[in-house]
Order: sequence, then C-alpha cells, then structure tokens
Amino acid sequence: MKSFAGLAGILVLAIVLSPTASDGSRIFLQLGNLTDVLRQISVIGIIALAMTFVILTAGIDLSVGSTLALSTTVVAMVLTHDFAGMGYSLHIFVAMLAALAASTAVGALNGAVIALLDIQPFVVTLASMIGIRGLAKWLSGNANIDIGFGQDVAAAFAAVFRQKSVVIGSYLALAVVFWILLGRTVFGRQVRAIGDNEKAGRYTGLPIRSLKVWVYSLCGLLPGFAGILYAAENHQGNPNAGVAYELDAIAAVVIGGTRLAGGKGSIAGTIIGTLTIGVLTNMLRLNNVDSNVEMMIKAVIIVLAVAVQRQRGVE
Amino acid sequence: MKYGILIAVALVAVGCGGTSSEKKQLFVAFSQCNNAEPYRAAQNALMTKLFAQDPGVKLVIADGQQDNSKQVAQVETFIRQKPDLLIVAPNERAALTAVMGQAMEAKIPVICLERDILQPNYTAYIHSDNMAIGRQAGQFIADYLIKKNGTAKGKVVQMRGLLGVEGEIKRDRGAKEIFAKYPGIQVIAEPVADWIQAKAKDRMTEVLRAQPSIDVVYGHNDPMAIGAYLAAKELNRDKNMIFVGVDGLGGTAGGIKKVMDGILAATFVYPLCVDKAVEVGLKLLHDPSFKPEKDYTLPSTMVTPENAAEMYKKFTVDE
Amino acid sequence: MPDLLHVENVSKHYGGVAALKSASFSLWTGEVHALMGENGAGKSTLAKIIAGSVKADSGAIQVDGRAVAITSPLDAQRSGTGMIYQELDLFPHLTVGENIVVGNLQYRERNFVRFGEIDAFCRPFLDQVGLHRSARTIAAELSIGQMQLLAIARALSMNARILLMDEPTSSLFDDSAERLFGLIADLKQHGVSVVYVSHKMSEIFRISDRITVMRDGETIGTRKTSETNADEIIRMMVGRELKAGGRKDRKRSSEVLLSVTGLKTSKLKNVSFDLHRGEVLGIAGLVGSGRSELGAALFGVDQRESGIISLRGNPVAPHSPRHAIRLGIGLVPEDRKLQGLMMQMSVLENSTLGVLGRLQSFGFLRSSREAAEAQPLFRELALKYSSEDACVSSLSGGNQQKVLLAKCLMASPEVLFLDDPTRGIDVGAKEDIYLIIDKLASAGKGVIFVSSELPELLRCCDRILVMREGSAAAIFDGANATQEQIMASAAIGEGASG
Repeated sequence: MKSFAGLAGILVLAIVLSPTASDGSRIFLQLGNLTDVLRQISVIGIIALAMTFVILTAGIDLSVGSTLALSTTVVAMVLTHDFAGMGYSLHIFVAMLAALAASTAVGALNGAVIALLDIQPFVVTLASMIGIRGLAKWLSGNANIDIGFGQDVAAAFAAVFRQKSVVIGSYLALAVVFWILLGRTVFGRQVRAIGDNEKAGRYTGLPIRSLKVWVYSLCGLLPGFAGILYAAENHQGNPNAGVAYELDAIAAVVIGGTRLAGGKGSIAGTIIGTLTIGVLTNMLRLNNVDSNVEMMIKAVIIVLAVAVQRQRGVE
Repeated sequence: MKYGILIAVALVAVGCGGTSSEKKQLFVAFSQCNNAEPYRAAQNALMTKLFAQDPGVKLVIADGQQDNSKQVAQVETFIRQKPDLLIVAPNERAALTAVMGQAMEAKIPVICLERDILQPNYTAYIHSDNMAIGRQAGQFIADYLIKKNGTAKGKVVQMRGLLGVEGEIKRDRGAKEIFAKYPGIQVIAEPVADWIQAKAKDRMTEVLRAQPSIDVVYGHNDPMAIGAYLAAKELNRDKNMIFVGVDGLGGTAGGIKKVMDGILAATFVYPLCVDKAVEVGLKLLHDPSFKPEKDYTLPSTMVTPENAAEMYKKFTVDE
Repeated sequence: MPDLLHVENVSKHYGGVAALKSASFSLWTGEVHALMGENGAGKSTLAKIIAGSVKADSGAIQVDGRAVAITSPLDAQRSGTGMIYQELDLFPHLTVGENIVVGNLQYRERNFVRFGEIDAFCRPFLDQVGLHRSARTIAAELSIGQMQLLAIARALSMNARILLMDEPTSSLFDDSAERLFGLIADLKQHGVSVVYVSHKMSEIFRISDRITVMRDGETIGTRKTSETNADEIIRMMVGRELKAGGRKDRKRSSEVLLSVTGLKTSKLKNVSFDLHRGEVLGIAGLVGSGRSELGAALFGVDQRESGIISLRGNPVAPHSPRHAIRLGIGLVPEDRKLQGLMMQMSVLENSTLGVLGRLQSFGFLRSSREAAEAQPLFRELALKYSSEDACVSSLSGGNQQKVLLAKCLMASPEVLFLDDPTRGIDVGAKEDIYLIIDKLASAGKGVIFVSSELPELLRCCDRILVMREGSAAAIFDGANATQEQIMASAAIGEGASG
C-alpha cells in the first residue's frame, strides 16, 4: 500500500540521518527513543482511529481537541474531589467513567445534530469545538487542576496511566479493536458504504442516522480516553489542552490514505499515517531542525500524501 | 517521483538543522515554552548572543508553542541526544516536572529558567522575585490612588497571565498582599489573557462595557497592559485610567518605551534571567567541579517616567 | 460508380488494447447507412477516424475513388466529411453564426467579425435544416434539438457530403426526432449520405438503407435493411443465439399483489392501478410525467399525501426505503452510479449491502456466508466479473446493473420496481435482463418496469400503464397495444401522433 511505502521511506531517512551517540549507536534506533516516539504519537493516534470512521462517512470532526480538554478537566476534577472513604481503585474508575461519559455525550450530541437536523458536519463540529472548550473552562473555573504529585488517589492514577507501557499498550489495543471493527463487522461495512454514496445507502435501506450518531459518539469516546492519558502524562486537568489536535488527527488519517470524500480508507492506513508523522517529527527534532521549519515540512508532507493518492487512485 | 521530492525536502531541512560537526562542540539545548511572547523572544535573542561569544558552544532552541505535550516531547528528544547542558523554560509547572526529572536521572545538568515546577528537578533555578514585583506594583498603585483621591480608594482591573504559571500566581498574590492593607482598593475584574496582547485587548473591551468606572489597569505583563490601553483608547476612555505593566523590556517595542511615551504609568523590569543563566551554564560546562546554588533570585527595578530614558538606554540590547 | 466513401482494413490500438482490429465499410451516394454494435464494438472509433478526430494506425480511406489521408478534422472537412457528436461540440457562448463560420474552410475569414456577412453566409444552411432563428442568437439559448440542427447546418456549410451522426436521438423528444428524420430524408434527395451510429433498432429499421454490424473491433457484415430483421442484426451484434423473453408462455395470476388508489404526493397527482402476482407491469410516459416519482412514492422516498397503497390486501405506508424493504418492496433506481452502487466497493460488498443482518453473528461478518449467498445469484443473473472482490467501477454498465439487481433481489422483495434498468447498457446485457424479469414474474413476484423504449415494454410487459403529468392516464394490454397508441396517450393533448 502506498502509505506504507511512504512510512518505509521516512524510516530509512530517519535511520540514515540519525545522529550517533557516544557509543556509536544511532540515537534514532535506541529502544528508549523508539518507545518515546510511540508514546508521543499515542494521544493523537487514538483520536485518529475514531476520526478515520468519521472521515469514512464523508464527515469531519473539528471538536476532538476540545473534547480531550473536557475529558482531562473532568477526570482531574473527580480525582481531586474528596469522596470520603472511597477506595483508590473505585475512585479512579469513577473518575475515568465520568470523563468518558462526558466525552461520549458531547460526541453523541454532535452526531444527533448532524444526523437529525441534517447540518453539515464541518459547521456543527466547528461550533461544538468552541462550545465544548467553553464548557471545560466553565467547569474548571478557567484554571488548571494539578494532580499527581502528592500521595493521594490522583497521584496513584497518574503513576499508573503515565507509564509508557500503559499508554502504548492502550493505543495498540484500541488500534486492534478498531481495525476489527472497520474491517470485519457489519457496522464497519455500513460506515464505508454511506461514505461512498449516502444516497445509494438510503436506497439500500441502511440506518444512516443511527450510523452517524454512533460514529460521532466514537469520536467523543476516543478523544475522551486520550484525554485521560493526557491528564496522567501532564499531571493536570487543562481546559486549554488539545488546541489544533484535530488537525494533527486529520493529517494522520489523510496521510494514511483515507479520502476526505469518504468511502475509501483503512485503520491500518491511519496507523501508518500516525507513525509517519511521529517518525518524521522525531527525525527533524533529533537533527535540531527549527520548529517552524518542522511545521512547513509537515505541511508539504500532507499535500504530497494527498497528491500521491489522487494520481493513482480510483476516480 | 513525489516521494523523491519529499526526500529532497527532508534532506535540505536536515541540512539546515545541522547534525553534530567534526570538532567536538559543547551542546546546549534550550527548551523554550513559547517563542510567540515578546519576553521570550527577547530571552532567545539574548541567549543566542551570549552563547555565541563562546565558540566551543552550540546552542539549539526548541519552541514548545505553548503546548505541554509538545514541549515534553521536545525535552524527551533532547535527552536522547545527551546534551551537555539542558535549559528549560517550562510551559506549565505540573506538566514539565516529570520530564525534567528524567533529564536529571540521565545525569544532564538542568537549568530551570524563570518559571518553576512542582518539584526541584533541576540543578539550578534562576528567576526573579515575582512576589516582590507584585508587592512593588501594588504599592505603586496604592500610592498613585492616595495622590489622586486623597485616600487609598479606587477600582482596579487585574489582567492576568496564563493561570498556573509561577509568574502569574506571584504577581497576583504580591499585589493583593498590599491591597489587603487598603480596604478602599477594589479589584473589580480579573480577566485572563494568557500573556498575549490581542487577547488582553478583547478581554478589556468586555470589561470596559461592564464597568463604567475604572481607575487602574494592572497587567501581569506589558503586552497585556498595552492591549488594555488600546481597548480603552478605542472607546475613548484611556485618559480616565492608568496602565501598569511588568517586564520592562528595552527596545522600541518594549515596556520602557511605552512609559516614555506616556502609555504606561509604570512598569517593572523583569529580568530576562538569561545573563545569569548563561553565566551559570558556562561555568557548569567548563568547570566540572563547579557547584551552583539551587536557587538564584534576581532583583527588579521600577520604571516610571522619571527614570525611563535612563532605563531605556540601559536595557536596550543592540540588535 | 465508385463508392462515395470506402474504408479498408482500418485499425486502432490504444496502448495494448485494440479498439479496432479490422474494419471495412463502404458508403454509397445518397444513402443512410447505419452502424450498429454493442458498447466497445468500435463503431464510435470508426466514426471518429472517418471524421478525422482520431488517427488510424493502419488501413486506407478513399473518397470518390481517390485515396485520402485523414489525420485531422480539417482533412475531413476538405474531404467533405462532417460529424455530429453525441455531446455536441458547439461553442455555447458564441452566436449561431459564429459557430458555423469558426474553422470553416468555406468562409473567408477577415480580421474583424462582420455580422452581416456571417448572416448572409449562414442563412441558406439554417433554412435548409429548418432552424428558423437569427444567426445572432447565442447558441446556449437553443434547445437541444435546435443545437443539433445547428451542428448539421455547420456540416452542410462546409460542403459536407458525408454526415456522421453519433446517437443523434439519445437526448431528443419524439417530435424533434421526427424533424431530424425528415431532414435526413431531404438530405438524401440532395445526394448527402448519412452514417448513422445508433442503438435504437426501431429508428434504424425506419430510416436506414443498409446496416453494417460491428463486433469486438471488426466489421461483421453489411445487410440491406429491407432484407434483414432485428433478430438477425442482434445475432450478428452479439454473436450468439439469444433466448427472447417468453412473455407469451407466462400466465399472470388473478391475485392482486399491490393495489394503489388515488395516490398523491408532492410530485404525483392521482395514480391508481393494480399489480397482480406474476405480472410485469410496464410504465411508459414522457420525461417528467411521474414514472420515477411513482417508484419514489412506493419506496418511501417521497411522502404520501393521500391515497392508499395496499400490499397483499393490507394498507401500508412506507415512510422510508428501509421500511419499504421490510415490507417487501424493492426498487432499482434509475441512476446506478448516483443512487444505486457504491463505486469504490467490490462486487460482493455491493450486492450484500442490504442484507448484512443475516450474514453476521454478534456483529461480525461471515465472509463465507456472504459468498455463499451471492454466488448463486450472480450465476442466475449471468454476471460477468473477474473476481467478486473486484471494484464495481471496473465492470461494464450492463454488469453494474446486474450487481444492483442482485442487491435488490437479495432482500427478497415481492414487488420489484425497476426504473429504466436497461439504460445505457449493451444489447447482450439487455437480453439478459429481459430474461431475468421474465423469471421473476414466473416465480410469482410482481414487477413494475419503467422504460423510455416502447419496443422493450411491448416485448416484456403484460400490461402497460401510461403516466401523464403526474397521473395515471391509461392502461394498455401488452399483447395488443401499438407504439403509436402509447405515444399518443403519453403526449400532451389528445390525438397528437408521434
């Protein structure tokens, strides 16, 4: 697949251009660096999994960054709330459940408005991007909520969920689940179908409205989970987190070969797209390329990725 | 063919970045939280200038773009490269604490610049006393109100920086400590503008519409105070209040010039902390036996129209 | 007397694909010569070679007995050949006159456009074709029929004696088509010959003198029209014996499957009819008369405002396609690309899309069950495909239509509404579809068959319902009706013929 060739190319470049450490090994290939990269892409990677489904229906979700912020805020607030006598495990579970419930709810709301009122996804999620962030800021009183440096339940939470193994493991597990969901289930098949030709889908009797609500709910659930990991990593609930994350997620999906017009794409592609961005960024940083040049290069990559798709794609 | 272009672009960019050269230079990595703030841009400029005076030192600056995850990832990547010195200006206290601890564990000397973190995961922390600045500002405001109204009575708007940052917390607390002594001084609004002038202008416009009478605007940094001024000027109310800022940068865009021009009533020079950081950093690089202090607190100076011209000359870094 | 045009052993390859292997063809003066063949047979390529827009790889062309090299449309113009393309190649923003004189070797060009001179030059040709509009009219303001006349006028003004027409009546209503036939007869009198490329058997048998059939890039044979018949032509086109749909063997039951009374929607005024079990009911009518809209109402796409729809005696109110399918009503929509198929999905995926519910366990799709259900149906429909995972866009139009049919049939509808199912597909596939319709009816289903081609309706249907202006106007018996009766019923105003 084309996107895999791109990733392979970047990997080769990264290895070849990697600076060497004092013991002669290539820094890029050090296990610590490779796992760093995996951890660094996990949050966006998780969001991109759900974004793949949304884009496959020929929709888009611009509110994922704000949903992540909401999730970090809710989890931090519940963790720092004093529930007298509640055990740590239960407390953490309740906090996570609250964050996931809130995120999924806003996602479902997006889906309902898009499906039932028939308003364009771009417009709806642009509005909810603003609204959800406002909600997060309102809930936290516009402040960050520090967690995890004491001896309390919040610290226990952070200690577990910031570990590389937990973060990377969650991403991989979710990737497998979503790969199966898209490729092997009725839901996945129907999602692809309505993205390919929604009108024909209607004539085939597909449950278009409920499919859309489910798809956007997933695009609330996964950013919610990503938000939990973010809160643990950064030791805070932060209503200002995740700004522009939607663009990174969309870039990963697009580079991975999913067409914005819907109907064609895969989870494998999205994972490759996510890895491509991660490896590229790491390669540039190890070589001390200026952050602004890094952004320009990313922009070029995205356009090239889409151009390559169109050249040999099915039109 | 398209991938050929991609490879060429990447090679060029990497060429611009520069890998380690033949002569063994000392590698100094500086993780800056947000190049977009003028204060931080001034820090970058001064640091580049000072380190350039030592040919054996290579300085690399990374821009976290005010995103915690980004800055953490950049520091992680720096750690992989095993720099001889790591300087970090943390975006937010909680977020950067752990990764700076990782740097310490990797035996890399770490200087924490100007903002602190939740645990002392650094070799040296160089900062100024924001608490003292807050108190100075508070006192200046109190004195001004006494002169204007006969007693310390008036309405103050406090334009706050990014919440959770040490500078913001202390500048607020210091001023409020002084205000507590004067019950006639009311803080009627405390909008948050994240250190950014444009945001401050918008926030101030909202406050102006809500508040008919304002005596003093106290901005946690000069850009925000200036933003508030611009908002008031648009509504023709700039003559009814004074604007006080913090930073006191030199140069035509800095706060000192604004005091000279009559836009700001006063500002407080907030040292860039860079000269001390470079001084300590060079000692750490060249002298293995050097044991720095854990904490360096640098003093600040108040700038008013009386001493503005003199301060301007003193603090303007020739470009 | 030498042939006006003689084409010998012409071939054309695109990359590795042969569009024309060996085509030979001759045209007499003052004749209308039809060129027939399935899609991909090469008739359009042959016409374009004669018209100069495509250059042949090998072969010879002679005009009036003299060898000519035709490598560009200008060469063709000089040889007296003009082509009327199916998608007319006029300049919509230029005037009628400008369209005629641009690139016209017969018109002496000046530096400045002189409208008076152009008018004078064009008038005789415009009159000859019967286009009574000012030469200063902007081309875009003409109707399709008039644009076609303009294209012909242009060819005539270039002194064309050979006119090539590619599917000229595909976008015309019947009265414009009549005018065209009249013009062609007139041109024949004046010694102009017409090469007429078309699918439509009835027209060919009406106006042509000879027919040349092409198949797979070769000319198979030429017949005098008066000495042959449709079956022979079809056999030559398809190369195999076809079993015609046996309407005569089929008996429709007396049980009423679907009953519609006074149906009114936003687009239909008043429709009433009964559909019996085992019956094929044709729907005829002009474009816009409400044929597709009837399907939309039965299938729950348009909301019913008043009237009754009864299925097996029970009133039903389908409010969405999903609901209609559950009730046992199926619809094959008119535009298979826009409304029917997922062009990026495979043959198998498209066909099973409506019935995924019974191919899964715990939400997971069982691919073995999918293939097991689909393959027998593909065989029944005589679907030609390389692999069931092939993308449906790589199939020919006829096979795409069969995939769409498969999808609808998998849901086991009792009533099937087919909206123009043979549009744009080749003769072989059409015959297959007639057979399928016949089998469906024999199996006891009720089939509603919408079409613009009256011959095929007459061939396949037990009864034909004529729609006019949103209402059901008349019902004819399939065995006894004539095209003229149906046309009369469909057209606006009583008694208007053809």
